[in-house]
Amino acid sequence: MILTPGIIARLAVLGALVAVAQLVCFSKMDVFGTSPDVALLVVISVGLLGGSLTGAVTGFSIGLLLDCLLFETLGAFALTMLSVGYVAGRYRETVGRPTRAAVALLGGSLTLLGAVVIAAIQIGTGIDATVSFLVVRDAIVKSLIGVVLAIPVLLVVRLVVRSALVDERRAARRTPAPRPVESG
Amino acid sequence: MYRKQVRRRRAVLLLLVAASLTLLSLYYREGNGGPLHGVQDVVSTVFSPIESGADRALKPVRDLVNWFGETFDARGENNKLKNEVATLRSQLAQNQTQAQEAKELSQLNELTSGGIVPSGTDPVTARVVGRSPTVWYSTVTIDKGSGDGVRVDDPVVAAQGLAGKVTQTTPNTAQVTLITDADSAVTARVTPSGATGVVEPDVGNPNDLQLDYLERGSNIAQGQMVVTAGFSTGNLGSIFPPGIPIGKITRATVEEQQAYQRVHLEPFADLRDMDFVKVLTTHSGGSKG
Repeated sequence: MILTPGIIARLAVLGALVAVAQLVCFSKMDVFGTSPDVALLVVISVGLLGGSLTGAVTGFSIGLLLDCLLFETLGAFALTMLSVGYVAGRYRETVGRPTRAAVALLGGSLTLLGAVVIAAIQIGTGIDATVSFLVVRDAIVKSLIGVVLAIPVLLVVRLVVRSALVDERRAARRTPAPRPVESG
Repeated sequence: MYRKQVRRRRAVLLLLVAASLTLLSLYYREGNGGPLHGVQDVVSTVFSPIESGADRALKPVRDLVNWFGETFDARGENNKLKNEVATLRSQLAQNQTQAQEAKELSQLNELTSGGIVPSGTDPVTARVVGRSPTVWYSTVTIDKGSGDGVRVDDPVVAAQGLAGKVTQTTPNTAQVTLITDADSAVTARVTPSGATGVVEPDVGNPNDLQLDYLERGSNIAQGQMVVTAGFSTGNLGSIFPPGIPIGKITRATVEEQQAYQRVHLEPFADLRDMDFVKVLTTHSGGSKG
């Protein structure tokens, strides 16, 4: 991904909008007893399209905004989303452009990773209460929703940053120019 | 060139991880009035009009998804609904939402005008505009803040019963920590037996609360109601006024080794699906809702 000021601005607007939408809309949805974590899927998509650095910085920024808007411990979501964005980006850098199946699987597994990291941070910071098995169920259902939503979210993010994508520029360059029609 | 890229990538990653850990550490050490809390207040104040607008704008989308979810859950019972015309669906969802909101507001008014609100308390009606995406944070954001007279530790009630208390405020919004939050503990009384204990959450299970530290042998039965006790000992007083319904007892576990008895209760308030709440303010503020 070629990061121009325009693309950085687009990513910033996308991040702010998705953080607000996560809080006021997606978190209030009830899908099989949990809610979709679309903000995390956006971070995964940015990592898969832009690499580890872009993924980590985007994840950190969106996570920090969520921490602020939720009045929760500053750094908790930032650390979680930065980890997820970095791992998604490293996948892109080491394996290459992911197939659709890989995107879906990464959406699910990295959503699960996000749930594990946030749980580790909570337990690490000394949560003092009985933890129900439903926490595990919630993480699993959330990751299954991540599998389903990963491809649509990636398509939307790709649309937003399309002009910065190196692969698509190369593909466009490779398309042969139309031959002139010979007359006579 | 490649090595330089790798070095840069590692440096940025380390910087971000260090920044996150530093923020975590500093946030824990500082008090509620610290600079990091101040930053949160500023960001929240800036975003609160956007959140409020987005909440209203995205409500039809949310309702539609929830409608599909509910239909899926009750597919067997709602077969006849499948024949509904597509254009009527969104209209129906909108009408139901309005009716539900009206019902919720009416129940809220009934609850707070039923003698449980102590004199001098000024209930402020607020809309729930934000919710935490994880089960670890049982908090919601409401669209009334310090400018409306809402203060930290003000009790918050939903249509059917106690919801939680205010833990953060900005001029336009406030964070409500629900009674299902890991940090929550409410002194409570079982009616009619009069036994008292402390209501604590079962993290991750919003439909279950535990009433702990009940004296062994207390006359507890399934279906009995649990209300706030509103204890006051010397200068230490409960922030919740007495008599606010919390939930009803679903089962009791008797552990032989324990000196106390523990029972489970189901909260009256539907904490995962609240649109409106009332904050029981005790201070004079700006415009009241």
